[in-house]
Amino acid sequence: MNNLVVRMSGISKVFPGTIALDGVDLSLTKGEVLGLIGANGAGKSTLVNVLAGILKPDSGTIEIHGEQIEVRSPREAQLKGIAFVQQEIATFATLTVAENIFIQDFPTHRTLLKRGEMRTKSREMLDRLGCYFGVDDDVETLSTGDRQMVTIARALMSNPSVLILDEPTSSLSVNEKNRLMTVVKQLRDQGVTFIFISHYLSEVFSICDRIVVMRNGVVAGSGTIAEVTMQQAVEWMIGAANSQQPTRRSNMELGDVALDVRNLNRLGVLDDVSFQARRGEVVGVWGLMGSGRTELARALVGLDPVDSGTVAILEGSELLPKRSSRRRNLFGYVPEDRRQEGLFLPLSVKQNIGIVGLKGLSRFGLVLRKKENSLAEQFIKRLGIRVSNMDQQVRTLSGGNQQKVVLARWVAVGPPVYVLDEPMRGLDIGAKAQIRELISELASAGMTIVVIDSELSELKLVADRYIVMRRGRVVAELGHDADEHNLMSVAAGAENLT
Amino acid sequence: MKQKLSALSGAGLLGIVQQYGFIIVLALVIGYFSLVAPFFLSWGNALAILHAIAPIVVIAAGLAVVVFAGKIDISVGSVAFLSATVGMRLHYDLGVPAESSLAIMILVGLLLGGVNAIIIVGLKINSLVATLAMMIAFRGLALTLTGSQSITLPEQIRILGNAKIGPIFIDIFVALVVLLVLNAVIKQTPLGRHIMAIGNDEDTAARVGIDVPGTTFIAFIISGGLAGLGGAMAMVQVGSITSFLGQGLEFTAVAVVVIGGVSLYGGMGSIWPGVLLGALTLEVVRNGLNQVGADPYLYQIITGVVIFVAIYAFSLRRFRAKPSGVRVAEANSAPEVSEASKPNQKMV
Repeated sequence: MNNLVVRMSGISKVFPGTIALDGVDLSLTKGEVLGLIGANGAGKSTLVNVLAGILKPDSGTIEIHGEQIEVRSPREAQLKGIAFVQQEIATFATLTVAENIFIQDFPTHRTLLKRGEMRTKSREMLDRLGCYFGVDDDVETLSTGDRQMVTIARALMSNPSVLILDEPTSSLSVNEKNRLMTVVKQLRDQGVTFIFISHYLSEVFSICDRIVVMRNGVVAGSGTIAEVTMQQAVEWMIGAANSQQPTRRSNMELGDVALDVRNLNRLGVLDDVSFQARRGEVVGVWGLMGSGRTELARALVGLDPVDSGTVAILEGSELLPKRSSRRRNLFGYVPEDRRQEGLFLPLSVKQNIGIVGLKGLSRFGLVLRKKENSLAEQFIKRLGIRVSNMDQQVRTLSGGNQQKVVLARWVAVGPPVYVLDEPMRGLDIGAKAQIRELISELASAGMTIVVIDSELSELKLVADRYIVMRRGRVVAELGHDADEHNLMSVAAGAENLT
Repeated sequence: MKQKLSALSGAGLLGIVQQYGFIIVLALVIGYFSLVAPFFLSWGNALAILHAIAPIVVIAAGLAVVVFAGKIDISVGSVAFLSATVGMRLHYDLGVPAESSLAIMILVGLLLGGVNAIIIVGLKINSLVATLAMMIAFRGLALTLTGSQSITLPEQIRILGNAKIGPIFIDIFVALVVLLVLNAVIKQTPLGRHIMAIGNDEDTAARVGIDVPGTTFIAFIISGGLAGLGGAMAMVQVGSITSFLGQGLEFTAVAVVVIGGVSLYGGMGSIWPGVLLGALTLEVVRNGLNQVGADPYLYQIITGVVIFVAIYAFSLRRFRAKPSGVRVAEANSAPEVSEASKPNQKMV
């Protein structure tokens, strides 16, 4: 086949602890739009990073136009006609639009920029993309969507034969999205090949000619858009049903509503989020990347401001709305990135455990060492944290034990509501089970728990009920009997099929 | 240009004040001193002011390049001192011709800039810490070389202190050329744009393939070289090398850069007219207070106030640019509103 533009064969990539890609084959023909989909961590991004020269594969070969090559750097990939628009928008606020477009390859005459050429070419490209902002505008005056367009214009400047778009629509408005779709179709008709990564099936099915579904570092299924149904795609994303039994609690009686979230809004982030949770209940927040889960968690615990809406907590027999500054003390919050946000790595286990309740541990502003010691001792024992001694630096603990330290800190002060963002990320199976048990224990003791987890099978093991988010909205509330298919369909925006 | 016009028509008087507030203040200060000090507004005084700021303009311009890249170089004063010292010692001890020793001073500056760059780029050490250490070390080295004695300049160099083209001191031309060339480098070359991009966001710059270490390296070399040149100019003005040469100059240079509207966060500001205006402001105030016979300590107080006002005015201007941020958010919220009502195009 002459039309073969790229052929990747047997691509493998191992990161410490995970196999990101396991012998993946992918080929692209001229003028097609390939939809690359899969759940979080399926290996999509790793695969395109390999093609774009950002990551080196451990094994496997890449052929471009039938010629086997090694893509050692992004620059080299670019020279071979592969352009990559990354998910994170890479623009420079105080440079002009034209400068941003040409930043990788300025046209010069005796080391001076050819401003005229930059302007004309940028203008032409932006007109093609249907953008009307000026080429001499500073990028800081542009909207996020327009900035995204600037990065696409930059990618197109090298006349690529393959253009990789990683989640290009996540920051675009509907108009901007439609404009992008039109441009993609136009360029495809001119012979450009696309890899289009998206979490939104409706988008993928409307623009792509063919889809490849990845799961756990392998291709789970593929086919042309005419052959594959959305339902089939969802099946491929989930894979074989997980056989693990959920950690069910003996005491399943739910108490009163303990957390009442009403109409939480934050421009561009959260859209009218309302839900309730009861005492003794574990509510799973499910959604794909960029759906606003972490943003919701941060808003709940009062770390991020909201434009409107209330968060009320049960006190006595009444639900009382709480200001964000108060909520920081009332919610036990376990952040997504425990090393960066959750722990004081150079401090000891003891200090990390005591840090939230320091007031209770001190007199006249001085920390009482005895109290701090006994508190640490108590919770190290209760949560089964494995340390050589309580003065050990938290940095030196394993992931599971670090996470227990974060939890111990809160359990020690006993907040009524816990918000756990990815509490089991990166832990081994044993540690995961222990964290799950701890969550069940807290719920049985009457605490209300909100859990975010991007591993659906894992979330299923702890959650009593689900709220599903997409683009900052709660799009569904599903009961305990919801299966993985339901959850994935709703999250990926394919819910009207059942 | 278009932007400035729209800012004017859009925001009215308030907009004008915010956009040009700084120049207005400078004009008011000049106006005030010309009323109270009879000789303030004269050709002679104007030239004296330009003559006085020439060395600091050169040094601050070099520093600004580093600041554009989001870094800082507070060793410039010590680099000025050490390069001047090395140049003169080579002349006296090894018989290097006096004229060549001036060129050597610039070379030494470039070299010392390279030392800073190696520490910052190679060892990945914070630029404030690295250049603070070098500020102390370079000065110590220079004091060792001079034995804390002042060095008198040879005749061939001393006469440069009075050299003029027409009525104008030549160091004014030197400073002017440095400003214009460096301004072109920053605004009109890939190197300059890459420096600005790095100052905007180092990670993003690396992601689009800009050579971040190499470019940062060059920025520190430019800063060092110009500190060497500025040191030579200051030395010529004084007529000798004393152990005070360049002392405190790093902070004057930082003040000049900041007053000139260069953001210490990087990626923003200009050599021309930014650095020039910054230096002018400081010297106009000093010169004016001097002429009205004010308490010398008053100058320091007023300098402090000027720095504060400059930064505050600058932050106001940035704040005014914010409304676009709101637009961003609005654009973003659009998909949420319509996503739900949007039918699935491809139903099976």
